[in-house]
Amino acid sequence: MSNTKPIRIMLTGVGGQGTLTATTLLAKAVLAEGLPVTSGEIHGMAQRGGVVESTVLIGCKSPKIGLGEADVLLGFEPLETMRAMPYLRKDGLVLSSTEFLPPLSVAMGKQENVSIDQVKEVVAQCTGNSFYLPCQSLGLEAGAVQAGNLALLGALTATDAVPVSPQTLAETIKANLPAKIVDVNLKALELGVGALENT
Amino acid sequence: MAHPLLSPEGGATHLLLGNEAIVRGALEAGIQVVTCYPGTPSSEVPDTFYRISPDGKFKFEYSANEKVALEVGGGASMSGAMTLTTMKHVGVNVAADPLLTLAYTGTPGGLMLLSADDPGCHSSQNEQDNRYYGRLAGLPVFEPATAQEAKDMARDGLLLSKKHETPLLLRTTTRVNHLRGPVEFGPMPDPGKPEGFKRNPSKFVPIPAFARPMHERLLERIEALREEAENSPYNTIHGTGTIGIAASGISRAYLADAIMETGLADKFKIMELGFAHPLPRNMALDFMKSVDKVIVIEELEPILENDLRVLAQKNGLDLSIEGKDLLPPNGEFTVTMVANVLRAQVGEKTFACDSCIPAELPQRPPNLCAGCPHRATYFAARKVFGDDAVYSSDIGCYTLGLLPPLSMADFLVCMGSSISAGCGAAMANDKPVVAFIGDSTFFHSGLTGLASAVFNNHDVLLVILDNHTTAMTGHQPHPGVEMTILGENENRLDIAKACEGLGVTNIRKVNPLNQKKTRAALEELREMSGVRVLIAREPCPLHSRRVYKKVAPMVAYVADSCTGRAECLDTLACPAFYKEGDKAAINPILCNGCMLCLQVCKHIKSKKRGS
Repeated sequence: MSNTKPIRIMLTGVGGQGTLTATTLLAKAVLAEGLPVTSGEIHGMAQRGGVVESTVLIGCKSPKIGLGEADVLLGFEPLETMRAMPYLRKDGLVLSSTEFLPPLSVAMGKQENVSIDQVKEVVAQCTGNSFYLPCQSLGLEAGAVQAGNLALLGALTATDAVPVSPQTLAETIKANLPAKIVDVNLKALELGVGALENT
Repeated sequence: MAHPLLSPEGGATHLLLGNEAIVRGALEAGIQVVTCYPGTPSSEVPDTFYRISPDGKFKFEYSANEKVALEVGGGASMSGAMTLTTMKHVGVNVAADPLLTLAYTGTPGGLMLLSADDPGCHSSQNEQDNRYYGRLAGLPVFEPATAQEAKDMARDGLLLSKKHETPLLLRTTTRVNHLRGPVEFGPMPDPGKPEGFKRNPSKFVPIPAFARPMHERLLERIEALREEAENSPYNTIHGTGTIGIAASGISRAYLADAIMETGLADKFKIMELGFAHPLPRNMALDFMKSVDKVIVIEELEPILENDLRVLAQKNGLDLSIEGKDLLPPNGEFTVTMVANVLRAQVGEKTFACDSCIPAELPQRPPNLCAGCPHRATYFAARKVFGDDAVYSSDIGCYTLGLLPPLSMADFLVCMGSSISAGCGAAMANDKPVVAFIGDSTFFHSGLTGLASAVFNNHDVLLVILDNHTTAMTGHQPHPGVEMTILGENENRLDIAKACEGLGVTNIRKVNPLNQKKTRAALEELREMSGVRVLIAREPCPLHSRRVYKKVAPMVAYVADSCTGRAECLDTLACPAFYKEGDKAAINPILCNGCMLCLQVCKHIKSKKRGS
């Protein structure tokens, strides 16, 4: 375990977005690469439209990421990306969706949401290493809005921040998702990889 | 194809949730009976057993509450069955009565109690540290830190429990239950049939004359278990430094990463206890004699810390033992937190993150789902009673009715408390008291409170929110459900008849999605006195989709005639609604088609889904 350089990946999104599916797929892909992995998730009340935070850690024993510990932050929703920023270490990598799912207070017009520019500004204060993708749109382009999570994961595998290749992730998708949604997710993965390569 | 967890062969490695790993460990031990009451973070253990039960060789039940679960488990184990009983930490309070006496009688088939504790209150009302129950009852306590350990300790804990005929506490915390890690499988033997009951009243009937020698035997057993702890592979000492660190549970994982992070391995000598009670005294004493001081890393209470302090004092060791002076007695630890303790010990600068200041952002609290029938019941109750009532709440999805604009929870104690705490409030208030309880919670511990309320003639209105399932923890069945993922419930209990049987004379039944009738029923019941019950029956839409395969054919939309007063937004707080300009709008993807909003505003209409 100690021979692997530790990499801590924090994932955050909104209940129902597929954040936990993405977490499990990423952890299985890391295992498929022959690396030691542990992953964590918090369930319960979050299922009712709340915030979902989960983790994938390579070369670590603990499943938890504390403040300032994450090497990578994957935000499936931009407001949640901003909320989770304190977990990122200085100069870590951020991959975030640009498309909002407004919380109830915002939807009801009681509170104003942050703008994508504000999110980018806060991210820029901590790191210059960030990429933004329209995940829901990429998911829809692939065939299902929920596949947007795979677009973001695909983009991650196209960086050199994690030792997981897009090919391994594709194999993991084939081995673990129900047959009828495999193609849509493979397409989303491809779109995510493409989106990153074009930035 | 049978589930991979049921594979009889060992050798394969799977990425498992901590809770799934516990299932595999129990299967490898030869588990014969599994009982539970679900509760986060323990629920995936019984839920996994339930799903694989058609192909498994064990007997499984969702019991009505934790006390029942442990009593059923105790009876099975006294009859020779290897048994696992699971619950969340607060559930052990409910089961504490049988637990402390089962430790006296012993459990010949083996009985492991899973207590899933929740430091950080991720989904619980308190942070109680159930390692105290291990000490209180005199049980061996195992504390895993990884998925592999969760599997191995479940197996070895059950085998140890059977060997010593003692209940054993497998104490996990949320992070262990909900972590995922690689788990190497061992072989899974055929469990065969339980041995059956061997009559022995002096062993199994704790009348005082028999209980006194039972207590003596329990004390002897603790010493035998201490020997086991001395030699357990789960208890290790490693490292070469002069500063000692003792750790148990998940803190061992944080410690391992903190050592790696700081590169201070040569400074510390570490004692890890996975089998932490009874304390392996010789091992701990040797450890303490070999270092200059000891730092104890354990989440929540200073239990190991105090154990070590007592041991040191008794043996005249003059060394400092610190723990809760350095790390908090509440919440979870992090690697950085532990690493900073290590750095401080060797005079290194501690790490502070300058980008770690959280921004002020719109919160995203959990909310009742779109189409949740509880919203309809609450909406009606608010219309009828407004702020002129005291609202007694209970544990379940419906506790989320706490939030404005529904604001339907004034106080809450524990499972089943809404009726009984409501009775207390009724004795001390002139305002009417309305208590809310879910169907699962009603069977868990509402029945007794209701019987007591009737007997004492309290002036209280109980609203039973019957959504046909245990929605909050993941749709587990309970005695009142009609359907489960495995089929129809043939032994269904009727809530109205149960209330009638408990002596309630004023009972009304409504579908809360019919606002007019629901309000009329509430108004009628408001004018009465004594114990009154309203049963609001309508399935949870998520459960409906999953089990009844039903989706409402129509969705709501806001017509162009909308005048923009947005009363629907302000009073319903349905997550399918949003504000568009001055007017309200409804997201058809999120709308579950309950049609409550059509009864709130005449500008909201229905249309066919997808049209």
